Amino acid sequence: MGLVLADSSVVVLALPDIYRDLDTSVAAVTWVLISFNLVMALAAVPAAMIARRVGPGRAAAVGLAIFAGAGLACGLSDNLTTLILARCVQALGGAAAVTAALELLPATVGSEKRAAVVWATAGATGAALGPAVGGILTQLISWQSIFLLQVPLALAAAVPILAVARHEAATGILEPELRRTGRPHLLANIALAMVSAAIAAALFLLVLLLIEGWRLSPIGAAIVVTVMPLAAILGSRLGPLVSSARARAAAGAILVSGGLGGLALLPKAEVVLTLPPQILVGIGLSLVLSALTETALGGRAPQAIHGGWTISARHAGVVIGLLALTPVFTADIAQQRDDAINAGTAVILDSPVNPLLKIELAQRVADRLEGEDGKVPTLGPAFEPLPSDAGERAEVEELRGELQDQLNRGATHAFSPSFGLAALLGLLALIPIGLSRKRDVEL
Amino acid sequence: MSEKLRARVLVAGAILAALALVGAYLAAGGSSYAPEKTQDPCKPRPWRNPQGLEEIAQQFSLSALDGAACKLGVSREALARALATPEARERFSKKYGIDDAKLAQAIRAGLVRAVNDAEKAGALSPLLAGPLRTTVEQIPLDQAIELVRDARSALGGLQTFLGPAGGFLEELLP
Repeated sequence: MGLVLADSSVVVLALPDIYRDLDTSVAAVTWVLISFNLVMALAAVPAAMIARRVGPGRAAAVGLAIFAGAGLACGLSDNLTTLILARCVQALGGAAAVTAALELLPATVGSEKRAAVVWATAGATGAALGPAVGGILTQLISWQSIFLLQVPLALAAAVPILAVARHEAATGILEPELRRTGRPHLLANIALAMVSAAIAAALFLLVLLLIEGWRLSPIGAAIVVTVMPLAAILGSRLGPLVSSARARAAAGAILVSGGLGGLALLPKAEVVLTLPPQILVGIGLSLVLSALTETALGGRAPQAIHGGWTISARHAGVVIGLLALTPVFTADIAQQRDDAINAGTAVILDSPVNPLLKIELAQRVADRLEGEDGKVPTLGPAFEPLPSDAGERAEVEELRGELQDQLNRGATHAFSPSFGLAALLGLLALIPIGLSRKRDVEL
Repeated sequence: MSEKLRARVLVAGAILAALALVGAYLAAGGSSYAPEKTQDPCKPRPWRNPQGLEEIAQQFSLSALDGAACKLGVSREALARALATPEARERFSKKYGIDDAKLAQAIRAGLVRAVNDAEKAGALSPLLAGPLRTTVEQIPLDQAIELVRDARSALGGLQTFLGPAGGFLEELLP
């Protein structure tokens, strides 16, 4: 479960490397992320129905095998089309495995209620862990290793399920049980979709800000975003202290929105300032995802179908978040790049360095900015060679610092509206959470 | 603690934590952390402490850029980048649809504004400003660009041209 749900976000930190290796566009490479989530959203409920029909053991085993095979294809892809197609197949296998797992869990953990809690917590932790794991693997080995490593993990997870699958093949599935499907918990699933959109933005945009905006390495960014899953673990400890799922969902949504609000208002381009917002988002996502998932599953049968609805809602939210916020973000970064170029040029022009050098520097810096296709460049080379005169060199170095500050401002500010919108989405999730009070004694 | 109270404490704690973070970042200037806005080139820009040939040349170039940018309706910064190399100038011309004649006219207007600004700031004597103004009004494009890029050499050249007048220019400059 965690492996599959981590997969929805695991490639976030690998996107820049995939983009370079497969020589594609920024808009196209985001489909490596979107395609997986879209297919998960569409396939989760049908996959759960199939799992009910063929038996959860067999569905999970086949699902994991498909997931592993498609993972291998992803790792061996040498073009974007193959990679996206393989990701779609991977999502099909993942949907079958995740929904079937919910039917298998009660036998392992003792009860349906406990199974729902474990399933929801694994999902929240997996989603939060994904980017950090992906970033570390990308930096230490390659982006392909993210997918290749999933192959043995998925196969290893399938081994104990094979015994269940064999048992199902021998005993068959009870037909009357297949017909008992209640209506999905609409409000909890709508809230899940909205919160998931906000969380996807938090993970995706923060990673982009760290790597593309502030020029951190994938492993550096991975270490930074590890704060979020650590906070999610803390949140999962807080959850059991309050039994009201509605209160946990509301508190979680507020924390996610507060964290995103903090990211929208970063007062400086410093990694340490992303930590408090990440702690809030991490604790919040753990509280809200598990509370809403438990609510959507609570007292409903069959669990796999309703689990399928939650998976569908979560991944639909991720897709909506990415599709809605990417254009906002892209437009903002283009505007901010122009503003940063102009602000940087103004800094150069108003500096006391030699006018001839000024105009040359302004052009070199603009060339570097334009050549970086929206990323914030390291300005060092634009200032090389430094003047030999000590006084002039000091002036140029000071200028370089001021200029880098303007670029950092531009890069950071470019993300603000998208983080702000994501925060708003998180807050809007409070509406279905609040409304559900009238419908349920306990959401 | 009752279950109801624990639920309320959790929600209240979340609200407080969220407000505290957003409030702290707002107080630290989070809403204004953005690239500085560039100034309208048509607005007058005061000359900063223009003393000596080097400083005057700096301010002269900036005033000329402002004047030319104002005339063309572009930012001073975009024009400065355009004047760096012939290729940059070509890109600029294409982007804004400005031909050489229009550019020359604008730069000459910018140079006139620079002479006026220098005179107003007391950095250039009216005795020198008059002929300089007449000269820049007719200067060819390449020389006009060179004058913006390197006003110091031009002003220094003027000093050399004056020859026997020796330190005359220095007397005219503050």
